[in-house]
Amino acid sequence: MNILIAITAVGVLAMLSEILNFRRFLYPISLFVMLVALALTGMEWSHGVRYFNDMLYMDNYAVVFTGIMVVTTLLWFMMNENFLNGNPRQADFTAIISFALGGAMVMAGFSDLIMLFLGVEILSISMYVLAASNKSEPRSNEAGFKYFLMGAFASGFLLFGIALVYGATGSFNLREISEFVSENNTDMSAIFYGGVLMIAAGLAFKVAAAPFHFWAPDVYEGSPTPFTAFMSTVVKTAAFAAFLRLFSTCFSEVSTWWSPVLAIMSALSMLVGSIMALRQTSLKRLLAWSGVANAGYMLMAVVSLNEYSDTALVLYAAAYSIASIGIFTLVSNMTNAGNEEISSLHGFSKVNRFPALVITVLMFSIAGIPPLAGFFGKYAIFAGALKDGFVWLAVVAVLSSAISVFYYLKVVVAMFQPAGREAVQLEFNPGQSLVLGLVLVLVVVLGLVPALITTLI
Amino acid sequence: MSQYLFYILSLLTAFSAMMVVFSRKPVYSVLYMIFCFFTIAGHYILLNAQFLAAVHVIVYSGAIMVLFLYVIMMLNLNKESEPHKSNIAKTAAVVSGGLLLMVLVSVFKSADGLAINPAFDSQIGMVEVLGMVLYEKYLLPFEVSALLFLTAMIGATMLGKKEGGAQS
Repeated sequence: MNILIAITAVGVLAMLSEILNFRRFLYPISLFVMLVALALTGMEWSHGVRYFNDMLYMDNYAVVFTGIMVVTTLLWFMMNENFLNGNPRQADFTAIISFALGGAMVMAGFSDLIMLFLGVEILSISMYVLAASNKSEPRSNEAGFKYFLMGAFASGFLLFGIALVYGATGSFNLREISEFVSENNTDMSAIFYGGVLMIAAGLAFKVAAAPFHFWAPDVYEGSPTPFTAFMSTVVKTAAFAAFLRLFSTCFSEVSTWWSPVLAIMSALSMLVGSIMALRQTSLKRLLAWSGVANAGYMLMAVVSLNEYSDTALVLYAAAYSIASIGIFTLVSNMTNAGNEEISSLHGFSKVNRFPALVITVLMFSIAGIPPLAGFFGKYAIFAGALKDGFVWLAVVAVLSSAISVFYYLKVVVAMFQPAGREAVQLEFNPGQSLVLGLVLVLVVVLGLVPALITTLI
Repeated sequence: MSQYLFYILSLLTAFSAMMVVFSRKPVYSVLYMIFCFFTIAGHYILLNAQFLAAVHVIVYSGAIMVLFLYVIMMLNLNKESEPHKSNIAKTAAVVSGGLLLMVLVSVFKSADGLAINPAFDSQIGMVEVLGMVLYEKYLLPFEVSALLFLTAMIGATMLGKKEGGAQS
């Protein structure tokens, strides 16, 4: 609870900074309060408090996911120092981002379907606005509008599903629903299954899993790069945290019924994402498609529901968020230079040795090459699927992971090629270099000692 | 009596909802939508949820629909110039919409076993009861929805505000 207060305090302070004219101090203040929120997250660990009539349940699962998201947001703030400082809309951006993080935290810790819906909506509405925030750029307007129209539709599905589940079980509370389901799991009303299906569709949209992924490439590409970075890290992590929490606590008893549906979604996302990513020449669009593929991998953790799913998902989400933030540091510099094509990276390693090294390691990690964090995330998720009997899904995942190595390495190869005509000078400011350093340490350490994060749950 | 009322209202709701989609002029769509909202408010009253009905009329039929009408008139959208979608998109829409309809119809058809609570409290939709529930059990969602509206408000002002020498 204190975490939520601290996070929203950043937003309130941001609005006050406009009124009371301390905009100059807003950036350090927001970094500091985010650190406080991280400390509060740590203090919440292993207490398992249920807040306000069991609306929010901060078990270790929620705490660890909140921790990942707070760390990612901190890195996000550090990476966007130049973008935020001096921007006339700094206060707006800071406020919306911190409220979005609050929504994400609610999604990780919800214990009531109403809280789930509110969390999803807070996060989504913030993202619609931020996607459209570059008003002079038509593509940004398009991204915001597209995201808003489709997202509102998906929220409708989610809400309809919640209403149907409520109708069938008579409760919004996760514990009561799961009790009801385990008591009557042989003769659940058909309305319940319809509700589960609708909820799955709504959440699959939010995580951009195929066949609900059509918005993702355009929205990711059109949005201003800092917000694309936020979308592909915090938003995705939060949506998966909510997905697994809901399905593992409430619907696990009827998993034989919905797991084939999600398995097909997962396989489709992996294949579609990987194959489409192969054809991209723009790094931002490539990351959007790889985000679809990664949604497929993470969905596998939900499909193969066993006692290791949550640790596998945590490890994967952490590795993915951290690596993405690092890679988006590069993309945001490319956006500033006005060229997001992969070919513009030629000669990059000559000028920026350290960033090139870090990006290479991150690409290896996200492609799943041992001994980096991404490998263990993938390993845990694939092993879970095999253990649960989804051999075909694991085969598809390995195949798509092999394809993904190809396009991730395409970026690495481009960086180490000699400079061509269209080579662009990219400069990393100290904050971004620090982010890259931290990210490198995290990816290597999590790869060597994955237990650091998996034992927390 | 209330059963007949229910059927009449349902018929009107379904009819107006379909007319929202089928009318060619956007203004007609909006007017049918207002009508649809009123009939839904009628359903709420049948369920003894007066507060919900009042809020529904005020917020949806009142505020939101006036806003819709205003936007349509401002942007002068009242033309039959809707671009035609490609046949593939139309077929896909029909197939997926039909599948959804099939799933939902079959779900509601086999929706037995929903025990109707015999101890139904007829006062449950009244403002007093609602207030007690809202400020006791659902206090946190109530507060968190403030966060939601604050976000939406900041977003709306940010997108609406003129950019003064903006970098962006």
